[in-house]
Amino acid sequence: MTQRKEEAPARGLSRRRLLSGAGALSAAGWIAGTSGGWLLRPKWANAAGSIKMGIATDITGAIAASGNANWQVAQLAIEQINQAGGVAGKSIELYLEDTATDEKKAVGNVRKLIQEHKVNVVLGGITSSMRQAIKDPVVNRGRTLYIYPQLYEGQECTKHLYCTGPTPAQQCDELIPYIINKLGKKRFALPSANYVWPQLLNKYARKVIQANGGEVVFEEYYPLDQPEYSATIGKIRDGKVDCVFNTVIPPGLQPFVKQLYESGFQRNGGVLSCVYYDENLLNYHPAHEMEGLYSCLDYFQSVDDPFSKKLQEAYSKKFPDTKYLFTAGSASTGMYRGIKFYEAAVKETKGDLAREAVSAAMDKGKIAEGPGGGAEMVPGKMHCKMNMYIAQCKVDAGKTRYDVINKYNMVDPKEC
Amino acid sequence: MDFAVKLAFDLLAFTSVMVLIVLGLGVVASMMGIFNFAHGEFVLLGAYTVYIFHEGGLPIWAGIVAAPFVLAIFGALLERSVIRRFYAAPIIAMLGTYAIGLVIRETVRGLLGGHYKSIPEPLPGVFTIGDLDFSVWRTVIIAITLLVILASWLLLARTSIGLQIRGALENPALARSCGIATPRLYTLTFAFGSALAGLAGALIVPLYQLSADIGLRFLVQAFLSVMLGGVGTFEGPVLGAAAVGATAAGLPWLVIPVLADPLVFVIALVIVKFRPQGFITQGRL
Repeated sequence: MTQRKEEAPARGLSRRRLLSGAGALSAAGWIAGTSGGWLLRPKWANAAGSIKMGIATDITGAIAASGNANWQVAQLAIEQINQAGGVAGKSIELYLEDTATDEKKAVGNVRKLIQEHKVNVVLGGITSSMRQAIKDPVVNRGRTLYIYPQLYEGQECTKHLYCTGPTPAQQCDELIPYIINKLGKKRFALPSANYVWPQLLNKYARKVIQANGGEVVFEEYYPLDQPEYSATIGKIRDGKVDCVFNTVIPPGLQPFVKQLYESGFQRNGGVLSCVYYDENLLNYHPAHEMEGLYSCLDYFQSVDDPFSKKLQEAYSKKFPDTKYLFTAGSASTGMYRGIKFYEAAVKETKGDLAREAVSAAMDKGKIAEGPGGGAEMVPGKMHCKMNMYIAQCKVDAGKTRYDVINKYNMVDPKEC
Repeated sequence: MDFAVKLAFDLLAFTSVMVLIVLGLGVVASMMGIFNFAHGEFVLLGAYTVYIFHEGGLPIWAGIVAAPFVLAIFGALLERSVIRRFYAAPIIAMLGTYAIGLVIRETVRGLLGGHYKSIPEPLPGVFTIGDLDFSVWRTVIIAITLLVILASWLLLARTSIGLQIRGALENPALARSCGIATPRLYTLTFAFGSALAGLAGALIVPLYQLSADIGLRFLVQAFLSVMLGGVGTFEGPVLGAAAVGATAAGLPWLVIPVLADPLVFVIALVIVKFRPQGFITQGRL
């Protein structure tokens, strides 16, 4: 196959190409991708057939920035796999459907992946509500393998559904003891957006805080777009809080961080930590408000790992000047990991694509390399061990960056 | 004492934001009888103007000064081309302006790639009186809001153009027979309302962030303010906005924040029930 290692989408599929053109427009956020869905097919294919991989992610809607990053990472990963000769002699075809940050639309579009395109595996969904909405059409009624790439609140133990993003244990077990023992901050506030991820993450974080001798001063939930936080700032000041463990999300987050900064919290020695904060999100605030922020994720662009650096370079080369960065908070790292886990599993089954067989191989799956390092499924748990990093935001001449402070090898997800 | 001063400042700061946003909406609703559902997107465009200036390396101040003018021109063109077709049918006007808002919002979302953009305050930081820190930019917003209220009121209540506008609202036929060009006045009024929205967007965007939904967040509360204050006067919507803003910022001190949001509406609706004409009765200005 070496003479046919080409990667451009197949010619002669004029309608498809038209659709993927529309798709590109839509990916730029200009028009809503509704009817079509798009296909990327390598030029080469052979008797061994091909693997159909479905990506269901938010190309439009409120979290389109993350969804488009996911889609681009998927394209990069598949391009690399196909260029290296595919998996067990088979090439991989990518099918994309938009979940549009809208569960009702998503279920219809995901059904298309399963019933029309008969994909072998579905990767995607970013919010927990999206995962809940599409897991049934994929896993139960669709009898298809499902890989969920985003960091999330845990407790997803559906068979044939593999989670490749960090869990609360992976995000809290190292960071919170570090804040309490190394930074000496013991009085925590847990301001949060009012939905399931903060609620369950806080439940876990509270346990870790108390186990390490810290104290939760208050735990509070806000409407997602609350514009005013003086009452919260008052509680932080009066409660002598020295660590704000934040799970408020944009758009409510920016006014909160600004008011926190204006209140002098950081100047007076307070620590702000935010476990989903990646390079993308730093740009949502003025740099000085982000200075000193602690985050804990499976990958930062400043991680010292040759493979990660190479991957990041390949991404920048394939998508120069893209608005959608390859970062951990947007599920992109989980997407890459998920695709590599699937590749490893199909290699293991020697090209057998039956769900039970691939799932059994996934369960013991291992990948040597990935963003932030390799990963390893915990057998029977559908979650994977991965390296976790604590990083702090530094500001140089108005530019933000993460400095990695500690690396923790193969942290246990502690799920299921 | 410290606590009371800080609380008063925080309430005043947020109330000013609310009033700024409602002003333009109130002027257009009161003086023209049009409920402009694209008002939130006019606020967004004001904010976007500042962003363009910032991206282009120009000072943010210049963007803030330019935003009302950009929006005035935009508003005038929109009134000439679309809005004036709606005067006979206020309900259709709501749908029509909503559609315009949707187009603007999604276009900006496309231009921003769905991201949020941070715009720094032209005057960052805090100043300290005693032990208390006050945000400089919030103080500027409070001051500008007071100035804008005063200037708008003087324009509408004390100048001859204001008199003509009020006359055209009261009795368009009579105004026309007196030689007042009502179509031109409507264009001017709508442009003025749009300019106020643009100014609001430009001033508040450093407090929040530029995103396509920035105006949407405030739109519903802005309409509530107009309803609460009463349509047909200038003071009504301003008072309504002050009430809604102070309630929205004050309630989280008393009840859990998730409850505060709907409670603002419950309180406002109860008031409207007992005072359906609003705080200020129609026709006083």
